[in-house]
Amino acid sequence: MGLSDLMSMAKPNIEARDKILARISGKELVNCFQCIKCTSGCTALKLLELKPHEIIKLVNLGFVDELPSSDIIWTCVTCLKCVQRCPQKASPYHVIIALRNLAVEKEAKVPERYLKAVSQILETGQVDTYQKIVTRKMETVDRESLKLPKICPPKESFQVVFMKTMEEKTA
Amino acid sequence: MKMAVFWGCCILTNQYAYEMSLRQVLPTFDIELVDLPEAICCGDPIKSVNNFSASYLAARALSLANLTGLEDLLVPCNRCHFTISETKKTIENNTELGQKILGLLKEEDLEYNANIKMWHTIDLLHDYVGLKKIKKAVTKPLKGLKVASHVGCQIIRYSDLGRVDDAENPKKLDELINTLGAEAVDYPEKLDCCGAALLRSHPDSALSLAGSKLKALQSLPADGMVVSCPECQLMFDAKQKDAGTTVGAKLNVPVVYYTQLLGLALGIDEKKLGLELNQSPVDQLQAKICA
Amino acid sequence: MTRIGVYVCHCGLNIAGVVDVVKVAEYAKTLPDVVVSKHYTYMCSEPGQRMIQEDIGNKKLDRVVIATCSPRMHEETFRRAVAEARLNSYLTEIVNLREQVSWAHTHEPEKATEKAKALVRMGVARSRLLEPLEKRRVSVEKSVLVVGGGIAGIQASLDLANAGFPVYLIEKAPSIGGRMAQLDKTFPTLDCSACILTPKMVDVAKQPNITMLTNAQITDVKGFVGNYEVTILKKPRYVDEKKCVGCEVCEQVCPVKVSDVFNENLKQKHAISIYSTHAVPNVAIINPDHCLRLKYDKGVCGKCQEACEAKAIDFEEKPETVHVKVGGVILAVGSEVFNALQMAELGYGRFKNVISNIEFERISDASGPTGGKILSPKNGKTPKTMAFIQCVGSRDKRFHEYCCRVGCMVTLKQAILAREKIRENVKIYICYIDIRAFGKGYDEFYRRARDMDIDFVAGLPSEIHESSDGSLYFDVFDKGTNKLLQIRTDLVVLGTGLVPNKDLANISALLHASRSADGFLLEAHPKLRPLESSAAGVFLAGACQGPKDIPDTVAQASGAAAKALDLLSHGEIELEPLKAMVDEDLCSGCKICASICPFLAIEMKTDIIEGKERSRAEVIEAMCQGCGFCSSACPTGAIKIQQYSSKQVMVQVDAALAESCAEGGK
Repeated sequence: MGLSDLMSMAKPNIEARDKILARISGKELVNCFQCIKCTSGCTALKLLELKPHEIIKLVNLGFVDELPSSDIIWTCVTCLKCVQRCPQKASPYHVIIALRNLAVEKEAKVPERYLKAVSQILETGQVDTYQKIVTRKMETVDRESLKLPKICPPKESFQVVFMKTMEEKTA
Repeated sequence: MKMAVFWGCCILTNQYAYEMSLRQVLPTFDIELVDLPEAICCGDPIKSVNNFSASYLAARALSLANLTGLEDLLVPCNRCHFTISETKKTIENNTELGQKILGLLKEEDLEYNANIKMWHTIDLLHDYVGLKKIKKAVTKPLKGLKVASHVGCQIIRYSDLGRVDDAENPKKLDELINTLGAEAVDYPEKLDCCGAALLRSHPDSALSLAGSKLKALQSLPADGMVVSCPECQLMFDAKQKDAGTTVGAKLNVPVVYYTQLLGLALGIDEKKLGLELNQSPVDQLQAKICA
Repeated sequence: MTRIGVYVCHCGLNIAGVVDVVKVAEYAKTLPDVVVSKHYTYMCSEPGQRMIQEDIGNKKLDRVVIATCSPRMHEETFRRAVAEARLNSYLTEIVNLREQVSWAHTHEPEKATEKAKALVRMGVARSRLLEPLEKRRVSVEKSVLVVGGGIAGIQASLDLANAGFPVYLIEKAPSIGGRMAQLDKTFPTLDCSACILTPKMVDVAKQPNITMLTNAQITDVKGFVGNYEVTILKKPRYVDEKKCVGCEVCEQVCPVKVSDVFNENLKQKHAISIYSTHAVPNVAIINPDHCLRLKYDKGVCGKCQEACEAKAIDFEEKPETVHVKVGGVILAVGSEVFNALQMAELGYGRFKNVISNIEFERISDASGPTGGKILSPKNGKTPKTMAFIQCVGSRDKRFHEYCCRVGCMVTLKQAILAREKIRENVKIYICYIDIRAFGKGYDEFYRRARDMDIDFVAGLPSEIHESSDGSLYFDVFDKGTNKLLQIRTDLVVLGTGLVPNKDLANISALLHASRSADGFLLEAHPKLRPLESSAAGVFLAGACQGPKDIPDTVAQASGAAAKALDLLSHGEIELEPLKAMVDEDLCSGCKICASICPFLAIEMKTDIIEGKERSRAEVIEAMCQGCGFCSSACPTGAIKIQQYSSKQVMVQVDAALAESCAEGGK
């Protein structure tokens, strides 16, 4: 009984949808009436074919399972135009972040840089390493040569608590 | 006044010019920056991996600010400012997640202080210092200089969160430019995104976004672009060459931080403002000023 | 000995689907003084009412308790039924088992049934203490005030005046006609708006029963249903209405230019001018903020006065205060159009060629700023491409959540008019979420638009830009083709919605007519009482109650007139007796009640008793709404609401707690 997608034979997964709803702490997602404003103004549409209205509709109907393993959820530029302009406060950006979190949990394909960021922060507290910059005058400088203050990394206790937070599966 | 400052990662590890120029200009307005005892990431890069973890990092940044005993925190990066603002709301709405975060902070004896007011470079200079004071302090008015401002995305959106300027008609950065004697130029692509968020996963698309905007700007009667976020500067300045290659255009746009432009108008030495670190042809901008 | 009858309604399944009504009726039978306890599917129906009436006769009942839906639904119905059975109608008690039980506790049927029993127990306890009361009659002033001179106000005024009743029609603009006077054509017939409106406007002017007060506003309202005393401020025109012939020579000699409000500021007129084409009254008016003579010293300008052959200009005219007494009020103050400056991303206000639908209407109208030619404001040329954007400011949680109801039809009309005027030389696009063409002939009108080579894009743009050559462009994703389209156009017309009139806050306060959450005036019941406001004697007509088109407005206006006629026709009305009453012996004259009464329904009277002055409170029954503030504040218990004395309320509290394990504070 009920709905099924004749192309993929998928059926809606209402449990997974409700999990997403819980993560974005609000039911506004279900209010989307497909005005398409988000997609019309989406920065990632032209180059990467991201259609926020489509993602919202898929989640609303429960077709959540196909999304975490897709490439499309990683194309969002996080410009927040869709959040700003949606007349129903459905916020595609927050839904996409929730789907990305779900992808990590399911160990679907996650772009390397995100997982790298986690280990970097664990190690040093920061997501980048200190770089040497070559100026226009072809001189190489860094924090020390520019006489910028020394930076203190976080104390060890940080690593323990940070790891704890990584185990938290929100909702 | 004294205020704490949270630099994030980008500024501390490669966008040195922003830190240099901020440290140079703020004392003119009696603002003393106090660094936090530790440097950590605001959590933005790992939001996509675990949003809760990211919120925790942002909350930790706020509680580090609390250790300074000061109730004003400057966050010069657009993305850090957004991430920390969202976390503030999560905690102040007394949600279950908020309570969990507070509990985790306690494990390191850290406390969250709801009274801490967040600032960004734009509202600190526009609202706290004020256009009049800045104008008064200018010793070298930038007459005849025309620049196009790029305020960025996460510092003006989304309005419901409370941002530093109007999302559809942001004027503050333009007014800050005008008060230096220069002229801020309007253009249709003003609210377009720099693409930084995609740089490490979809570099071609990211560079294409930055390149298109620079290309459009190049056709304007403008002498350069002004930004106030290290990620935006990374895209438009450091990556300008690559962006040009991606969109098939020869790009020649000087890109500076607002604080660098302000520093020049205040008569501060260009070396102290880190202008040599800019990869884009800022010499032509400086030439225009000195002319 | 009291003989109580209890009747438990199933309300179909509304109550019975959650509450075990049989058990509740059985329980009621066990209560003292209850001689009959029944349950039935629909107590409000004819057999239900007959059941009660027969029992009153046969079982000699002297109290009736009906456990059913909210008293706001059928209390009157049951009271009338009881009265027909020769029992005082105020010896009826309604217990709400629907809104307060079955609808509130749909998922907890056992607990709901227990609550229902407790409420019935409370109702029965209270019914023992009910007292027989009589309605009072007051005379009604046989005239009506109609506020607002648009098509709603015009229609209501004509209906009432033709029925023989005097009407005061008050309009804040210098001419009646309202929004409809600004329209070119009306959907779906494409009738010329002025052609169908102006005859009615002239009828109003000619109707001897209608006193038209233009350039006027209400400043104060006193009184109560049937007896309103309204103070009206007539602002000066500085032109004598009886002398001015409408020749417009004054306008030609006036040196001062001001923005033309009737033409949505698309052109300028002069400081002295006639407000609109086809104005009624067709009399000039001087704008005191811009007229040189009125702003500065005497002796300046005065050219109009020199030129006026009818000697109608009077710079000394003062505002006039008019007092009227009316029996009822019809509010027909209309609505406004959403100001798209609030949606900066669409470029309204920044780009001259982004206009609102009301601005387009003026451009299209032959009596408008371009003589009816469709011309772009920026360069005065005929557009080669036009794009309409729907739902601007409507269906939007950031601005107004409601659908404006007319936006789709207005855009279809304007697109068709553009096609008819510019023929094949213009490309027309409509960007929409849904096309709502719900009324009679409306979907046929939509088909007509599709037939005229008008393209529909299923999606809204996010932002609009202007290129260096002055043309506008925007990206829009079309749901139907799944393509990202870019539209380059000369003119963008925004489908700005109808929003509540700014004056509603003031009017609402003056007349005690509540507003709903969306800001429009609140009707007494959304389905069954759409013409009455929350205040007795104040009726609603037109867009002030909610956005609507002309057919619905005219229908509602005639309906409101009928309601007013109902009020006026008997010459008197009955007042509910559930009002405050003062026990003079207990009243100490402290004035607390008079100071807190929100309806100003308490007066302090002074008596001379044994040579001493004594102050006491007296209730103006017709204004009292029975809210109970006075009763709870009175330190001596002198003022009470009939049927809601402390005893009558406390006995319910005792009954509520009777079978619970609640223990008082220790």
